[in-house]
Amino acid sequence: MDAIIIETIVKAALVIAVFSALAGFGTFIERKILAFMQRRLGPMHVGPFGILQIAADGIKLFTKEDIIPQHANKFIFMIAPIITAATAFIALAAVPIFPEFTVFGYTIHPIVADINVGILFILGAMASGLYGPLLAGMAQANKWGIIGSARTAILFMSYEVVTGLSLLAPIMLVGSLSLIDFNAAQTGGVGEWLVWQQPVAFILFIIAGFAETNRTPFDILEHEAEIISGYATEYSGMRWGMFFIGEYANMITISFMASLIFFGGFNEWGILPGGLAILLKVSFFFFLMLWVRASWPHIRPDQLMWLCWKVLMPIAILNVLITGLVMML
Amino acid sequence: MSNEITIKIDGKECKTTEGEFLLNAARANDIFIPAICYLTRCSPTLACRICLVEADGKRVYACNAKAKDGMEITVSNEEILEERRAIMEVYDVNHPLQCGICDQSGECELQNYTLELGVDSQQYFIPDTKRENKDWSSVLHYDAGLCIVCERCTTVCKDMIGDAAIKTGARGGAVLDKGLKTTMPKDAYAMWNKLQKAIIVPSNGTEFTNCSDCGECTAVCPVGALVSKEFIYTTNSWELERIPATCAHCSSGCQIYYETKHTSISNPDKKIYRVTNEWNYVSLCGAGRFGFDFENRVDGKDEDAFNRAIEAFKKADTIKFNSTITNEEALMLQRVKDKFGTRLVNADALAFKEFLSIYSIASGNSLYKNDFREVMQSDFVISVGTSLRNDNPNARYAFNNVQKMNKGAGLYFHPVGDTLVPTFGKSVESLIHKVGQEELALYLVLDLFADKEKIPSDIKDYLASFHSTVKKTIKEKVMQSVTSTVVDKVTGESKEVTKKVPKMIDKEIEADENELINLLGGDSSKFADAFEKMMKKKENFSMIIGEDLYFHPKARNIARLVALIETTCDMNLVMIPPKTNSLGVALICDLDKEVSGYTIGYNEKADFTLSAIGDGDLDIPAINQQEGTFVNMNKVLVPTNAALEYKGYELNDILNALDIGKDETIDFTIELPENKGFKAVAFDDLPNGYTNSGKENRGYILENLKVTKEDIKVVTFNDNIILNGEIAYRCNPQRQFNDFTEKSEQIFEEFAIYASPAKAEKLGKKVEVKFDKKSIVLSVIVDDRMSGDILAIPDFRSSEDIYAIFGKNRFKQVTIRKV
Amino acid sequence: MSLNKFKDRNVGVQNYTLIEHEAFPQTGGEKFARVLKRTIKGELFVGLWVTMRTMILALFNGEIHTVKYPFEKLPISPRYRAIHDMLRLLESGHYRCIGCGLCEKICIADCIKMDTKYDENQRKEVTEYTINFGRCIFCGYCAEVCPELAIVHGGRYETASQQRASFSIFDDMLTPIDALKEQKEYPGFGAVSPNADDNIKKTPLAY
Repeated sequence: MDAIIIETIVKAALVIAVFSALAGFGTFIERKILAFMQRRLGPMHVGPFGILQIAADGIKLFTKEDIIPQHANKFIFMIAPIITAATAFIALAAVPIFPEFTVFGYTIHPIVADINVGILFILGAMASGLYGPLLAGMAQANKWGIIGSARTAILFMSYEVVTGLSLLAPIMLVGSLSLIDFNAAQTGGVGEWLVWQQPVAFILFIIAGFAETNRTPFDILEHEAEIISGYATEYSGMRWGMFFIGEYANMITISFMASLIFFGGFNEWGILPGGLAILLKVSFFFFLMLWVRASWPHIRPDQLMWLCWKVLMPIAILNVLITGLVMML
Repeated sequence: MSNEITIKIDGKECKTTEGEFLLNAARANDIFIPAICYLTRCSPTLACRICLVEADGKRVYACNAKAKDGMEITVSNEEILEERRAIMEVYDVNHPLQCGICDQSGECELQNYTLELGVDSQQYFIPDTKRENKDWSSVLHYDAGLCIVCERCTTVCKDMIGDAAIKTGARGGAVLDKGLKTTMPKDAYAMWNKLQKAIIVPSNGTEFTNCSDCGECTAVCPVGALVSKEFIYTTNSWELERIPATCAHCSSGCQIYYETKHTSISNPDKKIYRVTNEWNYVSLCGAGRFGFDFENRVDGKDEDAFNRAIEAFKKADTIKFNSTITNEEALMLQRVKDKFGTRLVNADALAFKEFLSIYSIASGNSLYKNDFREVMQSDFVISVGTSLRNDNPNARYAFNNVQKMNKGAGLYFHPVGDTLVPTFGKSVESLIHKVGQEELALYLVLDLFADKEKIPSDIKDYLASFHSTVKKTIKEKVMQSVTSTVVDKVTGESKEVTKKVPKMIDKEIEADENELINLLGGDSSKFADAFEKMMKKKENFSMIIGEDLYFHPKARNIARLVALIETTCDMNLVMIPPKTNSLGVALICDLDKEVSGYTIGYNEKADFTLSAIGDGDLDIPAINQQEGTFVNMNKVLVPTNAALEYKGYELNDILNALDIGKDETIDFTIELPENKGFKAVAFDDLPNGYTNSGKENRGYILENLKVTKEDIKVVTFNDNIILNGEIAYRCNPQRQFNDFTEKSEQIFEEFAIYASPAKAEKLGKKVEVKFDKKSIVLSVIVDDRMSGDILAIPDFRSSEDIYAIFGKNRFKQVTIRKV
Repeated sequence: MSLNKFKDRNVGVQNYTLIEHEAFPQTGGEKFARVLKRTIKGELFVGLWVTMRTMILALFNGEIHTVKYPFEKLPISPRYRAIHDMLRLLESGHYRCIGCGLCEKICIADCIKMDTKYDENQRKEVTEYTINFGRCIFCGYCAEVCPELAIVHGGRYETASQQRASFSIFDDMLTPIDALKEQKEYPGFGAVSPNADDNIKKTPLAY
């Protein structure tokens, strides 16, 4: 029992440390990718190819003055970014990152907690993460913030139903909510990947995932050209940084989920070992998010609602119905 | 005087007067005829020949051809244009291409006409002659290289100013190719021929001009050849802002433009760079042209001094001031008197006011009848009681202009000898009389010009008492017939031939001897003949009277005499107010005689001094920093504008603190007393300019009101007022009038005794002059245009209080001690 | 000039070109059809390809357009109008400006000022000359109007400074006397045209 507690604490600490660093690295990668796609160089001056820009930005964020507006609700204003960051990492707890491996005869499961309702837990944790922007926008006594909050609510109401319904069909096929089980269901190579059986579910999930992580084309919460910085308008320093870490951690989580549920997870892929395979898959989904940001314009909140409720939700229900029918026959 | 006629210029019917020059007739009717050398009020010089026009088919010069009824004039045809173009081309030959730096650039008539006539290439040429830049005097700079010898400067100096200090001299230029005479247009050749031989030089044969430094030559110069020394290369003319104003130095009240620009790159405050005038219609003196930098620069409002000033006004018994102020200021001081009963003391205005009041009771008019514009139209001018050269430049210009332009004559009565006045014309008689004999001068005028029927019989008898009949021999030329026998050499015959041969014989005639002439320092035997010549063809007479008569022990009697002359002689009468606005102050203020108690000085030294030159207890704006009006000697109320900013307090602020002020000083203009001849016209409605015909369009003319006439007897002359011995005369040098001119940097005349060369030699360098109560020590400066033994002591420095020393007389018996 | 042009205050409408676009869907069916059409057409993937292509070219073909500004500078046109230079006469080394004031007059931003005086050599001397670079719009009129080719535009376009005066003092703009040999004529506004000699008519001289 003690061993499990120690192991879990170590795992949790590692996840927080590694994924915080990855989130920071994600910002650097994003800036680079966007720059190349726009024929620019991106950050170049700090370190080789500007790699140390992350450190410079981190130092900047840590040392910047933490400003709290005079009429803000101080308490809520202060905890809102923590909600975002914390829920992002909590969601990661149920994500199996690598296949099991043995160190000094001790088998390690690279998952913080393999709970049997893993998918539900992840979706729930990530959904509650949106309380961060919602509360932040309302607490800061700023008109742009209020608009940001309202848009958060719209976003929330729009994608959540699609995420759940789109995943329902694969869950029905696998018969479990644990991601480990999903992984186990696709051990038979590329041909057994769930994406071939559930292509529609995958598309719906990836669209909903973009919405869940506030990525373009659904970055309506803080769209600079329209509402300054939305919910983050009044934030500065590390509090603002925590929103960022949360957002990038969520991006990684969604990438993991997509890989695990539809693309064979950490199973061996041909000659590629499982660990490397999942890293490649996650990297691709992460890159896809940046690629889309560089290519597509963003949509209006009303268009998002129209899309989710009038297009995606009926398709998802149809998908569930057809999957059920096929399984019954 | 002359008949109105109609002429046709380029088909347009123009009304003008018979004998008017065509150029003036065209200008008055807004028709443009190019002309360079002509000046409106001077004689035509025919130097430029560019005003060539065709009148009734003949080529004439518009500046000297006179209009006849029904004349038809063509301003330009092809030949004339070719002629004009050739003239401008010749003017451009060898003219330095330095428009970039030339001061005249932008307002240069050579530039203008070169463009106007389309000179775009040059076909004539001649070797150039080296011509040196010269400084003619302390203010004049002559760049001979730029000079086109249009002779406007010499013309204005002779015909208007009267100095005749410059003339054309030999240039030593190359001789024109004779072949050009046939190939180039006739007038252009003639002009060029003359141009190659002439240059402008001082007429006294030296390098320097001996003149009154009026700078009028720099104003009329069409190119950049004549520029004032201070102004040269300091700014381009187009950078300057022109502010129409009125010169505040003497009672002429000439219209001027202050031209301002920021002082330098580091100092954005406005500065006056020069003063310009409409030189065709008004001529300035040296004070007006160069005395412009007298502004009172203050940093801000000095509240402590202001509060002290208000206290001073509340407890003051007397306000002492002079007449170099605007009507509005005078009215404000009068308002102070109305409210607090403060005494107003102003020496010059009081004397003039008293003189005017006696005159108006005797004549029935509140003001003198005529103005100086009418004097300029007359052909016989008499000047009594004014030092013509010093007191008022425009009176002198008028006197001179009459001699030059109207073939006029003049009589100049004054105790101080002057060598310039007789040079104004051949028919000028100068009578240097004794101090105190001014009444006799007026009696002589009565005797010479009055309609004897109108004079009261006692005066008639009195005048007759000076006349006696004397027998004298004169030489007369008689033609005598002489018969002689001539033998013809060829034939040997003798003939009797009768020839007429002139012969001088003595003849005894009865001549009228006028003792008045002798008393006044003339020679009655010669005067009769001279006077007869002077009177030939004269029909329009004028008399100028001046300050000596207002400050005279017998001023009351003199005023009556003047009124008598006006009623009995057919003569224009003008008076010269002693200071800038003496006439306005005399009309607006109730003046008191004596200073008493606590005294405020308004531009005068007193217990509390308000000073516009910056040396008093509270600063007030100088004339070029404030808006206002003056009444000039032509009885015209003329407006002046503020050229420079003034940051401190002004009199109106004090009045506001005393609850009798207005929003603006100029709000008082409309309230000037209508019962004295002023009109209820607001300041902003007053024009300040001239029309194309030269008509003055400035302010308004004061109304000459009717006054109940009383018959007052004039008394005869009593010679007990004649002064003998050393005599001092209160008289300013030519360019000095007041504290403001003294403050100006380009006016150099010192506060000193001015004396004729002979007298100055006797006096030495410095003398002490003892008056009844006071004595002053002054250095002696030679005025080579003075003659006689009288000393001139200036009064322009108010702190010296010369008015008080002299009291009610301009002449004073003094004792002199060398220092 | 006719004022009719100015009396028509219906500004802007005249020059519009209407772009053809398909009719908006009215009924639900039409809307559905449009959604289907747009979904299937794959326009989104065209967008993705455009950015991917750009990235590939940028990474492997070096098509990067960034100029690392303070370290790299693009060459400017010789006719570029940057901070003014005051030139000197090549022979005597005296500054060319004669103080004619034409630049001061023509300056539409009213930023040129000069002080002049009559000097001891009987010439017009320019004692002070400044251009207020806070106001200057670098229109080039001053260089064009200058009769002496004295004021021209130089190549200094980096105009950030602790004080404006750093650029505008006469001596700063003047070619340094030791750099007189490197002084170049400005080919832009106000320069002498190559065929200037052919365009003037010679004045006959007597010497």
